[in-house]
Amino acid sequence: MPDQVASILPALVFIVPAVAGLLAYVVGRASVAARNAVVVLAAVATGAIAVAMLYQMLAYHAVLTTWGEELRVDGLSMVLVLVISVVGLAACVYAIRYMRHQTAIHWRDITEQRLNTFYGLLMLFIATMLWGVVTNNVIMLYVAVEATTIASGLLVAFYWDRRGLEAGYKYLMLLTVGITFALFGCVLMYAASTSYLPGVNALLISKIKDIAPAFPRTLVIAISACLIVGFGTKAGIAPFHPWLPDAHAEAPTPVSALLSGVMIKMAMYALARTVTIFYPAWPVIAVFMVGLGAFTMVLGIVMAIVQTDIKRLLAYSSVSQMGYIVMAFGIGTYLGLYGGIFHLVNHAIYKALLFLAAGSVMYATGIRSIHDLGGLGRKMPITSACFFVGALALSGFPPFNGFMSKITIYLAAADAHMWWAAAIAIGTGVLTLVVLVHAAYAIFWGRPRTGRLRLEEVREVPGSVWGPMVALAALCLLLGVYPQLLYPLLDRAAQFMAPASQTLMTLGP
Amino acid sequence: MYNESLIGTLSLIMILTSVSAVEARNLRVAAFAYALQALLICALILNFAVGNPALYAWAAVALVTKAVITPWLLLAYVRRTVDREVPAIIGFGPSVIIASIILVSFYKLTHTYADFMAPTSLATQGVFRTNLAVALTVFAIGLYAILSRRDAIKTVVGLCLLENAVHLSLVSLAPGIKETALVGIATEVVITVYLLLYIISGIYQKFGSTDTYKLSELHW
Repeated sequence: MPDQVASILPALVFIVPAVAGLLAYVVGRASVAARNAVVVLAAVATGAIAVAMLYQMLAYHAVLTTWGEELRVDGLSMVLVLVISVVGLAACVYAIRYMRHQTAIHWRDITEQRLNTFYGLLMLFIATMLWGVVTNNVIMLYVAVEATTIASGLLVAFYWDRRGLEAGYKYLMLLTVGITFALFGCVLMYAASTSYLPGVNALLISKIKDIAPAFPRTLVIAISACLIVGFGTKAGIAPFHPWLPDAHAEAPTPVSALLSGVMIKMAMYALARTVTIFYPAWPVIAVFMVGLGAFTMVLGIVMAIVQTDIKRLLAYSSVSQMGYIVMAFGIGTYLGLYGGIFHLVNHAIYKALLFLAAGSVMYATGIRSIHDLGGLGRKMPITSACFFVGALALSGFPPFNGFMSKITIYLAAADAHMWWAAAIAIGTGVLTLVVLVHAAYAIFWGRPRTGRLRLEEVREVPGSVWGPMVALAALCLLLGVYPQLLYPLLDRAAQFMAPASQTLMTLGP
Repeated sequence: MYNESLIGTLSLIMILTSVSAVEARNLRVAAFAYALQALLICALILNFAVGNPALYAWAAVALVTKAVITPWLLLAYVRRTVDREVPAIIGFGPSVIIASIILVSFYKLTHTYADFMAPTSLATQGVFRTNLAVALTVFAIGLYAILSRRDAIKTVVGLCLLENAVHLSLVSLAPGIKETALVGIATEVVITVYLLLYIISGIYQKFGSTDTYKLSELHW
C-alpha cells in the first residue's frame, strides 16, 4: 500500500471552479470581459491545482487524502482530474468566442444574461465532475454523478429550440431513472459493509475494497447489476445509450466536448471504481463486462455509419469507443486495465478535439449536415488539419495516441486468450477508420451535394477558437509518439484496480 | 416494538395512492395523490422511528421535499400547461389491470426473495422485509408509469414515485446512513424534478403540447 499524505488540494480542485461559476454569474451582470476573465483564470487555476496534485503524488509516492479519508486521490483519480481539467480548460477558452457567435444566431441579439447562466453552469459542471472523481464516499459518489446531470441538464437544452428541448428532456429523464439504480447499488454496497466496518469507514470505497470478497454471492450480483445499469446509463454503454447521441449532438459545442470527452468517462470511472472491487473474488463479472463492451462498440459504430449529421456521427462513435474501455476494464488484467485507462485519456483528448473542430465548421458555415458540406480544406486549413488528426487518432492510426491505447487493448485481449474480443475490437477499429475518414474527406475535400454552402464566404475561425484545438491535436501527437509520458501515472492507476497477483512484477518487463 | 398492523395498513394505502397517481387522468389529481403518498411515507417512517430515533430527521426531510415542495412544483407547472393528461399508450381499464398485476406479483416476488438482495439480516426480518417489498413495488409502478405514459408531466410523476420508493427502501436497507447524505439525495431529486418541469414548460411552448410522441426530431 502506498503512503497517505494529507493535502488540501483535492478539495480545492473542485471548490475553485464551483466558486468561479457563482462568481462568473454575478460578475457577468456588471462586465462581460471580467466574467470571461474569471472563467478562463479559474480553468487555468484548476489545471494548476491538478498539476500540483500530480507533483505531490509522484514526489511522495503517495495517495492524497483530505478530511480524514473523505476525499482520496490515487493514480486512477489523478488521471481523471488531469483529463477533466485539461479538456475543461480547452472548452472554456473555446466557449468565449464560439458561444457569443452562436448565441447571436439562436436569439438574434446577444443575450449576455443567458451567457452568464451558461458560464455559471459550465464551471459548476466541471466542478461536480471533479468532485465525483476525488470523493471516496460511496454515497457521495452517487450524489456527485447525479449533480453532474443536474448541472449539465440546462446546458444541453441551452438553445431552447425544439431539438435542444427534446434532447434536454430525454437527457434528464433517462439519466435520472438510470442513476437511481446506481443509488440502490451504492446503498447496498454501503449497507453490506456496515456488518464488517465500524461507523464512517463503511462508506469509504478504499475500505470496502478490502472486505468485498466477504459479501454473499447473491448480493454481489444485485450490486453489480444495479451499478452497471446505473453508471452504465451515464457512461453511454449500449443498450442504455439512447440519450447520448441526442444530448451530445444538440448541446452547444463546448458542452458537447465536455459531455463526450469527460462526463461519460467520469461515469465510467465510477463504474470501474465500484465494480472492479469485486473482480478478485468474482471474475465472472469481468467476462460479462467484456461481452457488454463488444456489443457496445459494434452497435455504436454501426449506428455511426448511417449518420449524416456530423455531431451525431461523433456522438455514436463515442458510444463505440466507450465499448473499448468497458472491454478493457472487463479483461481485468494489468495490461487490460492499463489499456483501458490509457484509452480513456486518449478518447477524452481526441473526441473533445473532434467536437471542437466540428463546432468550428458550424461556426464558419452554420451547417451540420455532411451532405451539405464540402471543399472546406482550402478555406479552413487549421480546422481541417485538426479534424484529420482527431479522425486518425480515433481510428487508431499511428503515430497518434489512439493507436497506442487500442493496440494495448488488442494485446490485452489476446494475452487473456479472448480472441473473439480482440477480433471484434480490431474489426470495429477498421470500420471506425472507414467512417471517420470518409466523413472528414467529404467535409474538407469532397463536393457538397446541395447548394446550401456558400464556399466563398467561409473564413478560418479566429485564434481563440482554433487555439484549443491545436493544443489538443498536439497532445494527440505527443501521446502517440511518446506514450511513456503517462506511464508513471497509468501504472499506479492500473495497479490500484488489478488483482494483486497480476501486477507488473508477474507480467511484464 | 413496531406496530405491524398499522405499518401494514399504511403501506397498503400508500401503494394504492401510487396506483392512483399513475392512473388519474387529471394531472392535478395525480399531484394530490402523490402528495398524499408522500405524507403516508412520512407516517411510515415515523412508525419505524420508534426503534431508531435518527429516522425522525428522515421523516422531516421527506415531509419538506416530497410532501410540500415537489407537489407544489407539479401543481405550479400543471397550471402553466394543461391539466388533462395526454392519453396513455394503454387504455384506462387495461392499464389499471396491468398496474394491479405488477403490484401483486412484484410484492409477492420481492417479499419471497428479499434475502436475495438484502445486505443485512435486519432487512429480512418482519416489518423491514414488508417495507422493502413495498418500496420495490412502488419502484416498479413508477417505472411502469415512465414507460407507458405519453404525457411528459406524467412521466415526471412516475420519476417522483421512483424516488419515493428509494427513500422508503433506505429505512430497511441503510438505516444508519447519515442525514447529510440523505438531504443531498433528496435535494437533488427536487432540483431534477424542477429542471424537468422547466424544460417541459419549454416543450409546451414550442410544441404546443406535452405529448412525448411529438418529440420526434431526433430519431436515429
